[in-house]
Amino acid sequence: MADPQWRVPDVRVALVGVAIVFAWLWVGVSLYRVQVVESGQWAEYGAEQRVRSREIPAPRGTIYDRSGQAIAMSVAATDVIANPSEISDPAGVAQVLAPLLAMDVQDLETKLTGNAQYAMLTRRLDRVDALEIEKLMDDLDIRGVYFRDQPARVYPSEDFASQVVGFVQADTLEGLEGLERLYDAELAGTPGYQTDERDPYGNPILQGDSEIIPAVPGVDIRTTLDPGIQIAAQEALALAVEESSATAGWAVVLDVATGDVLAMATAPTFNLNDRTNVDRETFRNRVVTDQFEPGSTLKVLTIAAAIEEGIVTPDTEFTLPATLEIARKKYSDVGRKDERVMSVRDIVAKSSNVGTITVQQLLGNEKHWEYLNRIGLGRRTTSHIPGEVSGLLHPVKDWCDSVCGPSTGIGYRVNVTLLQMAAVFATVANDGVWIEPHVIDEEIFPDGTRTTFQPIERPVFSEETARTMRELLAGVVEGGTGRRAAVEGYRVGGKTGTTQKYLEAEGGYSDTAVVASFIGIAPIDNPRIVVAVVLDSPTGERIEGDRAVSLSYGGVSAAPVFAAIVKAAMHGLGVPPE
Amino acid sequence: MASRTSTSAESSRLVARRTRADTAVVTGHSRAVLALIPVALLLVIGAGALMSASSVIALHENGDRMYLFNRHLMFIGIGVFALLITARVPYRLYERWAIPIFLLSLVALVTTLAIGKSIDGATRWVTIGGVSLQLSEFSKFATIVMLAAIFSRENKRFLRFRGVFIPVAFVFGSSGVLLLAQPDFGTVLIVAGAGFAVLIASKAPLRWVGAMMALGGVAGAFLAQSAPYRMQRILSFRDPLADPLGNGLQAVQSLVALGTGGLFGVGLGASRARWRFLPNAHNDFIFAIIGEEMGLVGSLAVVSLFLLFSLVGVQLALRIDDMFGRLLAIGLVAWISTQALVNIGGVAAILPISGVPLPFVSAGGSAMIANLAAVGVLINLSRTQRTES
Repeated sequence: MADPQWRVPDVRVALVGVAIVFAWLWVGVSLYRVQVVESGQWAEYGAEQRVRSREIPAPRGTIYDRSGQAIAMSVAATDVIANPSEISDPAGVAQVLAPLLAMDVQDLETKLTGNAQYAMLTRRLDRVDALEIEKLMDDLDIRGVYFRDQPARVYPSEDFASQVVGFVQADTLEGLEGLERLYDAELAGTPGYQTDERDPYGNPILQGDSEIIPAVPGVDIRTTLDPGIQIAAQEALALAVEESSATAGWAVVLDVATGDVLAMATAPTFNLNDRTNVDRETFRNRVVTDQFEPGSTLKVLTIAAAIEEGIVTPDTEFTLPATLEIARKKYSDVGRKDERVMSVRDIVAKSSNVGTITVQQLLGNEKHWEYLNRIGLGRRTTSHIPGEVSGLLHPVKDWCDSVCGPSTGIGYRVNVTLLQMAAVFATVANDGVWIEPHVIDEEIFPDGTRTTFQPIERPVFSEETARTMRELLAGVVEGGTGRRAAVEGYRVGGKTGTTQKYLEAEGGYSDTAVVASFIGIAPIDNPRIVVAVVLDSPTGERIEGDRAVSLSYGGVSAAPVFAAIVKAAMHGLGVPPE
Repeated sequence: MASRTSTSAESSRLVARRTRADTAVVTGHSRAVLALIPVALLLVIGAGALMSASSVIALHENGDRMYLFNRHLMFIGIGVFALLITARVPYRLYERWAIPIFLLSLVALVTTLAIGKSIDGATRWVTIGGVSLQLSEFSKFATIVMLAAIFSRENKRFLRFRGVFIPVAFVFGSSGVLLLAQPDFGTVLIVAGAGFAVLIASKAPLRWVGAMMALGGVAGAFLAQSAPYRMQRILSFRDPLADPLGNGLQAVQSLVALGTGGLFGVGLGASRARWRFLPNAHNDFIFAIIGEEMGLVGSLAVVSLFLLFSLVGVQLALRIDDMFGRLLAIGLVAWISTQALVNIGGVAAILPISGVPLPFVSAGGSAMIANLAAVGVLINLSRTQRTES
């Protein structure tokens, strides 16, 4: 065997061993670093790449009318999405899919072509149709077409109270207008999440952890809207707008005892399910967004305040000149050219400007303002009606000594919404107690609990003054400017209003355009509802018997709308005719 | 002494009978058993980890989650059979046949390049009779045998540099070029590690050994310069997050698996990396799955077993008086050790990822059989005794 001289020294063999030991020590230290020191960051990196979180859409709350019928509701629907990079034969797939999705074959093929990862094909397809298409895709072994459940918003009655209900953005379901917007957060609910672990190809890891946080459904909202009265209001308005060529018309019906808005309509209206080619102006809920000078209808408050303060009674008589001149501004009455003795009752019935100004001057600006303020003018209600404006009531210290009081007394220099005016008349109807008008009756939470809207109540004048005023208003219909508001079988009262339209753009009153209104109470002896109607810029004439009457007057164009709504409402509310 | 160990079968049986009473031989046998313990434990840990690591990929590609595991068991069986054979082959035969063995290995490498099949851009496999073989496993053994045969001879030429340079350059040069042509950077590293271990343990002057290692380094640097793109890929292990979806993908996923395992692991069979996040989880990256499922405790256990195996092997070499035997033993130990280091170093992102399997643990028939056969050779070596005893 080997010469001992050539025997390998042990130390050099040991050297190899030492090198191996050091190498393994280095590996051990490195493993400690990765698995202990840096463990957290690598584990986090791993979790990020495999834990997938998918949003579970929360069902959006339903908006009901007062009878419990859905005005706005969510239904199951499906978005159809493509991953073009997975589609090898875009033309073939387009041929199959286009008719099912009601799409143009060429357009669809373009969408399916290319290396993009995502192309939205159709939003909110009916769930049942989508399931059928999904099955077909499976059967034909077509890859790259995906289906994602997304609830859709549907408005079953299409144009029912469109401007009140509003609508959502079709894809995100974000509330854009109306109650849908104002109550967006409540209606939307809270989306849930489904978290699970996925492999790099997106397949669930069978042994992975998964967690489902269920979605919390949105709050349901029950409105105060009465379906029958709402529809009647919409139809009557539409007819009046058509007859008078008004640019728009709007109306509101209040339940006098509760402040509930039974109907709130704006014409022209639109289909909530199909808003294509609808003028944005049409989206406005003019009952609360459009302010105007009320004119004669506000005379009611001037007279009521004077009666409440004991300054006049219905029978107090005044000798009224043909023209009243205050600070070089001349006031006169429609259809009266001579000096005449008129009672307060007559002043109201004939809507006398001179008479009302005479009473206003006895009342005084301070007192007058107090009533205007107390009855809610110049302030938004807290009634949760989207888009509501406050109107404009100047503080009394800003009133000039000369024409400010008289002008305000006959309904100028003050901007109101129709809702505010309806509340003024409801105060008369409700024995002098103002109740905040509101469209929301209650919110119904997912757990079944409910919160009912509690309107603010504020006494403005006495029961007796209210009753007196109702008598005066009955006179307007029975023998004054509001004859066309009469409803067969029911005694009603109300007040006409016709004001020159103030044109913001021109900074002055229009020579031709008017705002014609009628606000009234029915039945006047046992009030149930207030109906307020406005027509913007009505023109033309109506032939009544042998004479033509101008539709520009509230008593001509707006009063019949009142009558039509009252008639429907009395039937709907079950008020028997006398 | 010399006559006793190199005679007929009859006399070697006599020797065996006589030496059974000899304490040196008894320790030699117990040492062989000692070397078998870490190997056996690594086989068990490996098979367990492989059952988990291979199940997802086997389910996807073979439709049976036990497919790769069953194959693995089969290869272990064949490997143990090979071990039993090599344990009985007198190691001196390798010395005698060193040159034919080495030339055969070169032929095997050329064959691989000529008719081998390419997978992921590397030509490493030759299919013979329906069985895919990695013939480079054989070239590792052949290179070690060749170097051990050369440097175990009494030869004054080694005192001069060219006496060391020429044989080393020839052996490394020929097999190294053929391996790099595949390319199989990992095997080159293993061959270099085992070869230099042989040189260090030999009597060739250390200064020449050091010079050869320096030359090797220069050659490596030259190769790196000649292919900067490949070098960039190889060096991407230093900052895998710079390209986590490209060059750094395997390193990042491997580190994610190890880091997720933490101290005690996510539990047996609970690996997430195996859900096709970590490519080659069942072969080259099985150590990451062990680290993920059993934590630092498990990964250090594996490291300790390799260390134990190496130390037992080195001690075994120390006990062998015969120079070829000693160099062969140290070469084989360095082979297994280097291969394990290169594999785990790649998994832990402290070395480039080179695609070598973890001995006794990874899936892969050629390596399993070769590694167990190498253990058999070590057992055969342990049966010799020191001349002094």
